[in-house]
Amino acid sequence: MKAMGKLSSHLKGRLLELRRAKDEGRKIVGYVPGGYLPEELILASGAIPVCLVRGGDHSAVELAGAYICRWIDTFCRAQIGYGVSGDDPYYNIIDLLAIPITDNHVRAISDILDYNTDIEVFPFGVPHMKEEIALNYYLHGIKRLRARLEELTGVEITESRLREAVALCNKERELLRDISLMRKAGQVPISSKDFVALNHGSLLADKEVMVEILESVYSELQGQVIPSHEGPRVLLTGSTLALGDSKILDIIEEDGGVVVIEDFAEGIRHYWEDVKPDGDLMEALADCYFTRRVPPAWFRPDEERLNFLIKLAKDFSVDGVVWYQLMYRESYKTESYYFPDILKREAGLSMLTVESDYDPSETGPLRTRLETFIETIRR
Amino acid sequence: MADYYDALLRLCGFEDDDIKREQPRADKAFERLELGTEDMKTAEEWVRQNHDVELVGVQRLLRGWILELFDLVLAKDEGKKVVYYGFPSIQGPGMAIKAASKDEIYVACPDAILCHTLGQIFDKLTPILEAGEQNGLPPGHGLCSLQQIRVGAMAKGIIPVPDLVTGSSYYCDMGSKSDELLKQKYGQPAIYVDGSMDSRWGEYPGYLPERVEFMGAQLNKLFDKVKEVLGVEVTRDDWDKAQSISRHIFSGIGQLTKLMKADPVPVSAAEQELAQILATASTGRAMTEVPEALDILVQEVKKRVDEGIGVVEKGAPRVMIFIAPFSDASIMHMMEDAGLAVGATLLTVPPPKVLHPTSYTTLGEIIAEREMTIGIYHSSFGIAKRFEDAARSLNMDGVICAYQFNCRPLALPSHFLKKWVEEEAGVPTLSLEFDMYDSRNYSAASLRTKVETFADMLRARKAFARV
Repeated sequence: MKAMGKLSSHLKGRLLELRRAKDEGRKIVGYVPGGYLPEELILASGAIPVCLVRGGDHSAVELAGAYICRWIDTFCRAQIGYGVSGDDPYYNIIDLLAIPITDNHVRAISDILDYNTDIEVFPFGVPHMKEEIALNYYLHGIKRLRARLEELTGVEITESRLREAVALCNKERELLRDISLMRKAGQVPISSKDFVALNHGSLLADKEVMVEILESVYSELQGQVIPSHEGPRVLLTGSTLALGDSKILDIIEEDGGVVVIEDFAEGIRHYWEDVKPDGDLMEALADCYFTRRVPPAWFRPDEERLNFLIKLAKDFSVDGVVWYQLMYRESYKTESYYFPDILKREAGLSMLTVESDYDPSETGPLRTRLETFIETIRR
Repeated sequence: MADYYDALLRLCGFEDDDIKREQPRADKAFERLELGTEDMKTAEEWVRQNHDVELVGVQRLLRGWILELFDLVLAKDEGKKVVYYGFPSIQGPGMAIKAASKDEIYVACPDAILCHTLGQIFDKLTPILEAGEQNGLPPGHGLCSLQQIRVGAMAKGIIPVPDLVTGSSYYCDMGSKSDELLKQKYGQPAIYVDGSMDSRWGEYPGYLPERVEFMGAQLNKLFDKVKEVLGVEVTRDDWDKAQSISRHIFSGIGQLTKLMKADPVPVSAAEQELAQILATASTGRAMTEVPEALDILVQEVKKRVDEGIGVVEKGAPRVMIFIAPFSDASIMHMMEDAGLAVGATLLTVPPPKVLHPTSYTTLGEIIAEREMTIGIYHSSFGIAKRFEDAARSLNMDGVICAYQFNCRPLALPSHFLKKWVEEEAGVPTLSLEFDMYDSRNYSAASLRTKVETFADMLRARKAFARV
């Protein structure tokens, strides 16, 4: 697809663009990719959002070992590694690091970088339950973030600026959703690797350029002649799918599986819900990013998330579920024990759980397990 | 005719009429726990080896733990409703529920009780940990061993399925997630008391009022749900009653902490921990047994101080640790054998008081405000600052940061705590990866090597300072 090439060349020059923008006085705001940071606020402040979504790199994990023990989630340790390295281009360019504190692993990024680096960290809490008081707490957090962004950029986040940003971000979500939903069809028009590349790209690219790219992809896909694909359809879910952590997708594809839908707590942009542009926009952001967002495994109780996974499995007619989690994310590990029974009961499907610590030596055993699973679920 | 457990119970402070009275319960509880004659012999040896049983106060505390174990195992048989809370837990709500329910409800943290009894007394936690591993919390993934104990004990049918659990969702994810796992298996209802540790580095003792309001509302919700599910209304009077008992207990622990400043240190921190955790893990025997046991222990320790008796040599370097091991007191003795006087744990150091009269009106908010002050639920910086302040004010020669590797909030400070305490308080700190619940997860020899080296370094430092 031509549009994928455009995305690739845009991302290649992105750091240079960010550097130029910074030199011209624009602020760059980094954030951790758990899906709880409304980019709309950053855009409305005139700053540029940059999601720190890179992972899959064992050397960054190793670097973190000098600052924290190994029993913290792999992706979060990788972020600590990038942050403390002092030579990571993204961590070096940001003026502020906004961190929605979702669980203790993400809190580790906040605390370790706040203490050990000069990066200005702005943590705000994401409660673990969908209750009114929890929503209010989240809303208070994003209001504090709004105030800090206004102070940082010197730009007042007005109603009209915010509304414009909401419209842009809604457009991006809508396009990602439309493209993703095309995969419900028997003939899958876009590979998961390409879809994930688009999704990850949306976390780093200029928002307007990204919307143009997504529009082109959507129209290209509509006119495309789809080659037949006989492989089993897979729902890929788990804790984090970071940019650069491509091992799992590569192996499933190489083994003949077709990932038709992904659901991750971190790394993948959530595109199922739009911000409703009526009424108070801050409340609308909280409604979209907190209340209507399908929660990750560190929310309790877990019914909403597990029911959502079953619905995805049915809607996308999958033949099996691959549960890909990173080491030591205890919420996902615990859920992976009891979800297979629910999945079997509710959807008649099997699930394979695999784990990663971004260690290259995992590839062999991972391939063996995935190959066996794909063969097992092949109709 | 004497029962197979009489000798152990006597060693643990039971009188003959006590044993007679408790016999039916003991028979039933030990049978369910699969503890037989050989286990009692092992336990006697283990207790003598690890506890200062010449002190009557220690015997009484061990008695309190064993009675609490009976109460836990037999709660449903004795017609009680059962409420479990998680560890660590905010001090007070559990005891207030107990105070409000009179004797109709059993309220406790079961895993902490099993650690202190099946671990510290019987040295027989392994089968329960293994059952936990087989029932949803497998080994090798850094999953909390305390939760493995709860899951394993329920899987083995040792402890009853509760009528209600309250999860400490404000601190860790593991407890709440294990509750979800158990809900799938047993259908137990759960109330999660949520919060968010989202303070910035350096913010403690300050905090955003919204944190107190949020957590306060969650605690108020807990009391509302208890009323809804169990029909028990927790009033301000119940809270005051629970607080009055807590104050008595913590005043005793505070007195012990002061006595532990003596040189030589008069008693092992393992004994102080027996009182500290019984007061937080239990709400029944904590109220009925701990106050008197502590009073006796304080008098006995005071006598030792007056007579210059200690468990380590006079002049031994004084160290502070975060918390004493729950299931294996031998670790504390290993530190003492290395020549270190463990003078305090962070949990036995009285927390700072709320400086101003509270402006909060609801019970939940008042509790939440106090928790912010204590620091442990405030933030990583709160813990670091508390360590720094305690090490400084207690004039410690060293700090051993023995962190629970499979507890995310406790593993998070693994490296920065050492750096912070050394730089800010000038106190040498040893960071030690460790499992205070599951002794299979560490090598005693490896820990000893590190602790002995640290002790040598502290002694050399003290000697150099004298010169």
